Amino acid sequence: MEHREILRVGRVRKAFGGISAVDDCSLSVSPQSVTGLIGPNGAGKSTLFNLVAGLYQPDEGEIWFNETRIDGRPPFEIVHLGLTKTWQIPHELRNMTVLENLVLAAKHNAGEHLLNLFVRPGQVRRDEKMWRARAREILKLTQLDALANEHAKGLSGGQKKLLELARALMTDPTLVLLDEPVAGVNPTLAANLMDLIEKLRQGGRTFFLIEHDMNVVMNRCDRVIVMHQGRTIADGTPASVKANPLVIDSYLGG
Amino acid sequence: MAIPSESDSSTGTRVPHRLWELLHFTPRARRKLVRGALVTIIFLAFNGLLAVLFGVTILNYTIAGLSVSSIVIVAAIGLTLVYGMRGFANFAYGDIMSLGAYVALLVNINGLSLIWGAILSFAVLALVGILLEVIVFSRLEGRGAVPPIVASVGVGLIIQNGIRTIATTTPWIYRVEAIQEIPIVPGLGVHPIRHILTPAVGLLFVLVTHILLTYTNLGKAMRATADNFELAKATGIDTKRVTYATWALSCSFASTAGILLGLYGLLKPTMGFEVLLLIFAAVIVGGIGSPWGAVLGGLVIGLSQEMSAPVFAWLARPDVIGLVNASAYKVAIPFIVMIAVLILRPWGIAGRAPAFTGRVFFIEKIAKALGRRPKPTGPLEDESGG
Amino acid sequence: MKTRAEAERLAIDTGILVNLGFYVSISIIFAILALGFNLQWGYTGLFNAGIAGFFLIGAYTAAIAITPPTPPSTGYPGHLGGFQLPLAVGALLAMAMSGLAAALVALPTVRLRADYLAIATLAFAEVVRTVALNLEPVTAGTIGIVGIPHILTFSGPDAAFLNAATDVGVGAAILAGLFLGLHFILESPWGRVLRAVREDEEATMAVGKNTFRYKLQVFAIGGALMGLAGWLFALTLLYIEPSGSFAPAITFSVWVMVIVGGAGNLRGAIAGAFVIYGLEWLSVQLKDVAPDFLKDSIPYIRLMIVGALLIILIIYRPQGILREKKRVLR
Repeated sequence: MEHREILRVGRVRKAFGGISAVDDCSLSVSPQSVTGLIGPNGAGKSTLFNLVAGLYQPDEGEIWFNETRIDGRPPFEIVHLGLTKTWQIPHELRNMTVLENLVLAAKHNAGEHLLNLFVRPGQVRRDEKMWRARAREILKLTQLDALANEHAKGLSGGQKKLLELARALMTDPTLVLLDEPVAGVNPTLAANLMDLIEKLRQGGRTFFLIEHDMNVVMNRCDRVIVMHQGRTIADGTPASVKANPLVIDSYLGG
Repeated sequence: MAIPSESDSSTGTRVPHRLWELLHFTPRARRKLVRGALVTIIFLAFNGLLAVLFGVTILNYTIAGLSVSSIVIVAAIGLTLVYGMRGFANFAYGDIMSLGAYVALLVNINGLSLIWGAILSFAVLALVGILLEVIVFSRLEGRGAVPPIVASVGVGLIIQNGIRTIATTTPWIYRVEAIQEIPIVPGLGVHPIRHILTPAVGLLFVLVTHILLTYTNLGKAMRATADNFELAKATGIDTKRVTYATWALSCSFASTAGILLGLYGLLKPTMGFEVLLLIFAAVIVGGIGSPWGAVLGGLVIGLSQEMSAPVFAWLARPDVIGLVNASAYKVAIPFIVMIAVLILRPWGIAGRAPAFTGRVFFIEKIAKALGRRPKPTGPLEDESGG
Repeated sequence: MKTRAEAERLAIDTGILVNLGFYVSISIIFAILALGFNLQWGYTGLFNAGIAGFFLIGAYTAAIAITPPTPPSTGYPGHLGGFQLPLAVGALLAMAMSGLAAALVALPTVRLRADYLAIATLAFAEVVRTVALNLEPVTAGTIGIVGIPHILTFSGPDAAFLNAATDVGVGAAILAGLFLGLHFILESPWGRVLRAVREDEEATMAVGKNTFRYKLQVFAIGGALMGLAGWLFALTLLYIEPSGSFAPAITFSVWVMVIVGGAGNLRGAIAGAFVIYGLEWLSVQLKDVAPDFLKDSIPYIRLMIVGALLIILIIYRPQGILREKKRVLR
């Protein structure tokens, strides 16, 4: 067993009512990398992300994060271990403000425990203050600070994507799973987002992202993993993957 | 006896053109039939055993169970049709049953035979069903699971209290000839209405439903719409008409079930509401949206309720625990069955496990503690109401 | 010294006041039920159709704990009780039993879709009611528990008035306390998680919250509040019986109250309770002045109006008549 991979997926299988979505899939992600996950539609990429994040439980196989086994654990435990996933279609909390959306994501907020409200009110106040300040920092980082008090439902599509990322960052993750972070986002914003990811990577975080935008994949990822029909068919540098005949086949053949 | 053969190529099924073809079953149907036959044999054997152990009188409970099941089945088929199509639990269904019973009563006390009452009630309630859809429920499309439930409670309140206002709360009974029980063996009697007519009507309705849904164009359209509304619309099915037809059928079945219920006992304004939860239990146990599930669920619910009565009677004996009012507790048994189903297999006997299941950690913890690998369970919590 | 006319006047006035006091007391009880349901559904999206069941458990627990021993008499089956515990203890026991029942009911059901939850909780309420109707040694069956003591005992000609005043006073104090307490916890970070769960549970889970635990807590607290309402109910009515006071119609009335007031709106829930119960109270007053052929139908007509209200409100104004305050976090 190697100890250098931050995420290891071992022979994971998941079927829904007889249809196999993920079929004997194995892959690994190196720490402090920006790794891409590509493949034609229906290859099982989003399902894999959901499995890693704990939203689904694999039928077979193992998932290891930082030498801790995480398959079978509920999502909130996995987030607390340092692994956070964003949604392909943003799941913003529409009737809450942008700031509230972020503060919600704080991992250890004394005020979220009912008893603390009564027995440790001072700590509740301090935590809340600290997290609001941190949220503002992250909003500045993602250039959403002007919208802090806007209700999330008023945001544009691109802004909602940024909110997804901001919220993920709020959980102080070691590994972030990004499901199509720049889909439907204008190129300037996309570039800014990817610059931010690069900066964060240098700060020590790892990013594993699903993307269809080949520009992003080729230019921003250290490594690319390709899935097809529920399993990994290629794994390597962007250049090598681009030239791989199996990969070309899968995209053409579907 | 040749029925002209036609190939229904658009849906890929053929109208059976020789009598024997009606008896042709697919392998899947064959498997289900075998399973059903097996269960029936086990059931009969079980009853035989009971009769040997406790005397033939114990079979009175089984017969009562089958009778109650018949009423529940007719009602449950009606409920599950709308539940499957519109996705909400019609809390007014019991009161709609009461309405059907009272409409038939109206005809009956004016001198006509109850059969005419049943026919008129069937027609009137079909109309009521369509009106409900037009006036109330069509306006709640797409609003989630809770608003239609709230609206249906409102409808139920109106119907039930309308009955109270017009017919008063004094119980009524149908004017039918008083018929005696027919004794089979000493201690075992069969009541012609409760134990022969009711199951016969139940069986008839089950068969009619099966033929309707399997062989008629309307039935196929209903199944397609219930399965996938958007797809059905896209393939040209007039979903509005299908919706009205489903509602009409649902309420008509309710009327018949209500009349059977009225024959079983008295007519009170609360008669339908009292059995509402039983019907829900049958639909849930059988699987929402599945008429055959409704049949199975109805059998489970009716039989479990009635066949638990002797157990409670035994508990009532002073030398056991002397339980007071023991017979009243049998109504709790179907609910226990329903709760067990909700915990272990919420989609019921005939339902399909939902494609994307949510995690149920506390069940998984228990299963892990028991050493078994937990299966995916639970309908995912969708929009949380309102 | 008062003249005879003045004394008669006073008697009539206090009679009216006692009647009004009854209206206020019962409205307060419904308001507490509505606050509990609002917490479960308005804030967290858990549609509880078994309100009457938790109400019943609280009332019976309180009655059993508080009532002095009943002297044997013919025709009365007797009940579990005679402990004659202090009222406050009775309240705590009522809340504990209802809260516990709610937690147990919630364990298998809060993960289910709204309609399954509604059916399961309705079934729970009916089972509880069946037990109360039949478990005579404990609950005195269909007759119910009688002889529940007043909050404070008064004697003399003004006793009825003073009792009514105490009931209203205690009720109002409890309601005020609950309102402030609920406001406090709902505006807190804990309350924020609840709102997030109602909005999008999956997203809230994915952000690291154990939503199951929150739902369980909320359901239990709501149940405890309904139990407290039961305690107050027992003390106001001085007897409890299972068939009318804990029927599903009570649950549906509470729904109307919360829907009228606006889901997720504490003040609205209280206002809704006063308005909707006001309708019922008025209909009872009208009985005296109604023509004969209508007299018996008045309660039924009122329920039909409630039904129509449910339908109209849910179709056209589901957010209620009072709106939820817009929240801005600074």
